[in-house]
Amino acid sequence: MSGIEVFLTDFLKLTFLSMVPFILAAQGTMLGGRTGVFNVAQEGIMLTGASVGFLVGYLSGNVLFGVICAMLVGGLFGLILAYFTTTLKMDQFVVGLALFFMGLGLSSLLPKIALGVTLTPPLIPTLPDISIPLLSKIPFIGPILFNQNILVYISVILSVALWYTLFRTNLGLRLRSVGENPKTADSLGISVNQYRYLTSIIGGMLIGLAGAYLPMVYTGTFTDLMVKGRGWIAIALTFFGGWSPIPIMFGALFFAGVEVLSFRMQVGGGIFPYQFLIMLPYIATIIVMVFTFGKAKVPGFLGQNYDRERRSL
Amino acid sequence: MTQIKKFLPYFIAILAAFLAAGIFIAALGFNPFKAYETIFSTSFRTPNGFIQTLIKWVPLTLLALAFTVPLSSGKFNIGAEGQMIVGGIGSAAVGIIFADLPPALLIPLIILAGILAGSLWGLISAWLLYQFNINEILTTVLLNFVSFSLIDYVCTGPWRDPAAGHPTTIPIGENGFLPMLIDQPPLNIGVLLALVATVGVYLYTNKTTAGYELVVTGANPRASKVHGINIRQMFLFSMVIGAALAGLSGAIEVSGTHNRLIEGMHSNFPTLGLIIGLIARGKNQAVPFVAFFIAILEVGASAMQRTLLIPVQVVLIMEALILIFILLSDLIRRRQK
Amino acid sequence: MDQSAILEMHGVNKTFDKVVALSNVDFELKQNEILGLLGGNGAGKTTLMNILFGLYKMDSGKVLLSGQPVTITSPRDALLKGIGMVHQHFLQINNFTVIENIILGSKVSQPFTANYAKEEALVQKLCTQFSLEIDLSARIETLPMGTRQKVEILKALYRGVKVLILDEPTTNLIPQEVDSLFQTLKIMVKEGLSIVFITHKLREVLSVCDRISVLREGKNVISLTRKDASDDMLVRAMVGEGMDLKNSVIFAEGLVSDQKTNKPAILNVKGISKINADKTQAISDIDLSIHEGEVFGIAGVAGNGQRDLAEVIMGIQPSTSGTVFFGGEEITKEDTKERISRGFVYIPEDRLADGFLNKVSVAYNLILGYHHLAPYSNKGFINWKNVKKSSKEMISEYNIKTTGPDEIGGNLSGGNIQRVMIARAFSQNSKLLIAHNLTRGLDIPSMDFVYKKIKTQSATGVATLVISEDLDELLLICDRIAVMYRGKIVGILTRDKFEKYEIGRLMSGYEQSQEETGKGK
Repeated sequence: MSGIEVFLTDFLKLTFLSMVPFILAAQGTMLGGRTGVFNVAQEGIMLTGASVGFLVGYLSGNVLFGVICAMLVGGLFGLILAYFTTTLKMDQFVVGLALFFMGLGLSSLLPKIALGVTLTPPLIPTLPDISIPLLSKIPFIGPILFNQNILVYISVILSVALWYTLFRTNLGLRLRSVGENPKTADSLGISVNQYRYLTSIIGGMLIGLAGAYLPMVYTGTFTDLMVKGRGWIAIALTFFGGWSPIPIMFGALFFAGVEVLSFRMQVGGGIFPYQFLIMLPYIATIIVMVFTFGKAKVPGFLGQNYDRERRSL
Repeated sequence: MTQIKKFLPYFIAILAAFLAAGIFIAALGFNPFKAYETIFSTSFRTPNGFIQTLIKWVPLTLLALAFTVPLSSGKFNIGAEGQMIVGGIGSAAVGIIFADLPPALLIPLIILAGILAGSLWGLISAWLLYQFNINEILTTVLLNFVSFSLIDYVCTGPWRDPAAGHPTTIPIGENGFLPMLIDQPPLNIGVLLALVATVGVYLYTNKTTAGYELVVTGANPRASKVHGINIRQMFLFSMVIGAALAGLSGAIEVSGTHNRLIEGMHSNFPTLGLIIGLIARGKNQAVPFVAFFIAILEVGASAMQRTLLIPVQVVLIMEALILIFILLSDLIRRRQK
Repeated sequence: MDQSAILEMHGVNKTFDKVVALSNVDFELKQNEILGLLGGNGAGKTTLMNILFGLYKMDSGKVLLSGQPVTITSPRDALLKGIGMVHQHFLQINNFTVIENIILGSKVSQPFTANYAKEEALVQKLCTQFSLEIDLSARIETLPMGTRQKVEILKALYRGVKVLILDEPTTNLIPQEVDSLFQTLKIMVKEGLSIVFITHKLREVLSVCDRISVLREGKNVISLTRKDASDDMLVRAMVGEGMDLKNSVIFAEGLVSDQKTNKPAILNVKGISKINADKTQAISDIDLSIHEGEVFGIAGVAGNGQRDLAEVIMGIQPSTSGTVFFGGEEITKEDTKERISRGFVYIPEDRLADGFLNKVSVAYNLILGYHHLAPYSNKGFINWKNVKKSSKEMISEYNIKTTGPDEIGGNLSGGNIQRVMIARAFSQNSKLLIAHNLTRGLDIPSMDFVYKKIKTQSATGVATLVISEDLDELLLICDRIAVMYRGKIVGILTRDKFEKYEIGRLMSGYEQSQEETGKGK
């Protein structure tokens, strides 16, 4: 293999590996948004997911159990968000920000309580790669696509499944109707609250899983603020993908590519101070928003609460 | 009597938050009564404690206003952190480059540089919102991350102080140090600057036509536009004013508190600023008081960690609980109507 | 008529916040009848029916369906029990297709594919049965109002309802479509349905209903069959004893006094066009001039560019081409604030969204738009003393029920919010008033009050541009009426040429040459 091919294989494999948290968090955001619940606590939920996933995985010695707990905690955040916005009808941004702080504080507090202050952080085993028989033997493509950890496969399957559910099933039709026009949905006997709770909780679980992925795949341990803005980028990605699962999946590939590029160039050294390379994903996100934000198709009732008895003139 | 009635729900909310946090502290195996005793007495037991509280009050007030002023027009500025950092960088740059200017010139210049740098940083998000209608929450947050790299670059670059173990610049010129109000324990005039800013914000939002337009834009942007108010301009103004206040706090940290730029000097102030803004329910007038209250908690929390070994993060949980209970009490009052 | 009652409501009470919407209301619908539920705005008609449909919870009272007591807690409940409702603002999802809108929320034969062939066949059958023609695969947002209403009716029929409630169904229809709707209603009754027809229009009730019930201020007034009803009786029932009918504008037809086109034109709009961001034409090549003291009406089915025209004249949206002159001066480039300073006043269509501030005080609301003018402000500072003073004056003159200028706007009831906006609009030193659906949501005495205000203002030379979807209102108060269709003005009629069906034809886009074929409908 030539040097360029090695670099490219490595780069693309890492890109697919890094797209997972973006996909999971953005699909979670999308799902809630499709019924009108706009979650802005991703960063906090991911941090808590990372923290809980790591701690439970380490203390129980069972990484899968850690993953499940991270998802449960994420789901709990989704539940709280749904309760405060859907049942109590409080401002979605304010509640989302409050939950972001909660997640921020909780993620850093939990390890201190559970482990105390440690000099060398304990490690959990990272997820192994799974080679898919035959497919992984295809030259070039094989090692990139078919020799990855299980969540890479799951995130792609999940995206397709979400697309099918939303746009090809009766459940999806109902779900979308709630986000487009809850009053209409309500008048036809569709329970707005039920769907909002459901998507908010499942969305939260996906975001929690996105957080748990970080210690499980990248570092093997939890460090404070390790999500590094991926949660916020996931919101931008959701707009970028027009609140649709398949475009979101490809968008995640782009954001992951920028992240890997920034990382690779730091390691490679070069003319730029490394700090400017770290900035790359954030600046790229802003630039992408300039070109896509105005045109993004957004669910009609995104971020707005529905009150059946509210009268209008 | 009506005043008491008005504030009663808040007191109950705060009490409930302390109760819940107390249970949490007890569950961690500490004595909650001792914890609260430490938290509330530290600020008032010694002059030093009180001065420490005032010193914390300055950035907390300014950063909370950096959030609430844009919120008056309905925009969420989550980027006070970055604006403060970049403001600090601006002040440090002026303080180092023009170190030899006389104080009468250098001090205003440093303050101005901080305000200007912070405003410019905020202007990026404000302009993106103005020009392309891009959600300001996202851009302000993303720019925070950019600012982290920026301060790291400045603190490890040509102005690096090799003697410091942590990324830090060399001190700014001595002529640029903020004058002291009290020498021992030290308190600089930053507290006066913050006070002026607070009063200025109050007058602006409550007495001027421009302030009226800001407030109504926040209340209903569409109706305001229909009635002749340039709402996009209001968004832009309020975001830039907020950023300027954050930049000012950066300037005060650099020229007053540390006399240099230190990576991480913003501590958890920006997050607390947001929490204060939310506890104040976006009301600019309430910010300085809430900020003072939170400053007491923060100063008390460090003392609590030192003497009782209770992790400071407990206080962050407590603050989040206060926020949630305040929001809930709002709701209860709404329901009662 | 001696059919048995299919539906009864007894002793219904409902309060919103502190406002009593219904008090001890009884209601009865008989098998196979069209019942007219008549009343002015705020009479409680819609509230009563929303309770029946499960959208609102009643505080007390009971509902009997075919003699059996039932509780309806949600629209789902109502639909299961055979009660359907067509709302005034259609409850449809704009970017879904017709068939998706119809089957939404009901069981489908193939829930895991997007194949609705079986359902489509069923809907087609209903279309033939009730002679409703519709393309089931069209997207809702592309359809005209009359067709969208048919979708609403089909939604109910598809669910096999026995009782259908129609809330102000003629609001967005041209006279020809109204006739066709009435035909449909008669077919439905023949096919075994019972219908409640909510309206505030006397003539409609008298032309189509078998029986009429009148509500006023949340209370029963009278119920009677059509042959027992008369115009005068129903008017009195609707407005109550307190109103002076002889001197009212609505019932005495007397707003228009003299020919006002002799006076100089104050507003001249020349060749105004506006192209939307998505390249569609919002309004094209509009020419009109309004004279001092004139009441100029714009008729048209909602969504034909009326709002864009109003907003371009107000300077809220920029025009793509054309010029606007006011009092002889070109103002095309001026922004809204400058136009307000010149004496423009605008009452927007969507009062809550475009005109009211829930989160701030009544005083803040009462000066919105005029806050930068004397006496409210001076050199960039608000003069709160003056603001409070004039707020108090407006509150008492316009009878706004509030604790004072400092009360938060959101605490006010819907009717009082309307009064705030009317007080604001009529308290200015205006030269041109632009009002969009001016009286929507007002009760009859308030409507009359507003008409009188317009009359007084126009006597002093104020020009008024009234945009309304209510043709009867325009016919009542205007000196001239222009008709808008697809962003164009397709005809301007002077008062002596006013004719309902002619205007209806223009509203639906028939060219003059097609006039004869149009009449056949």
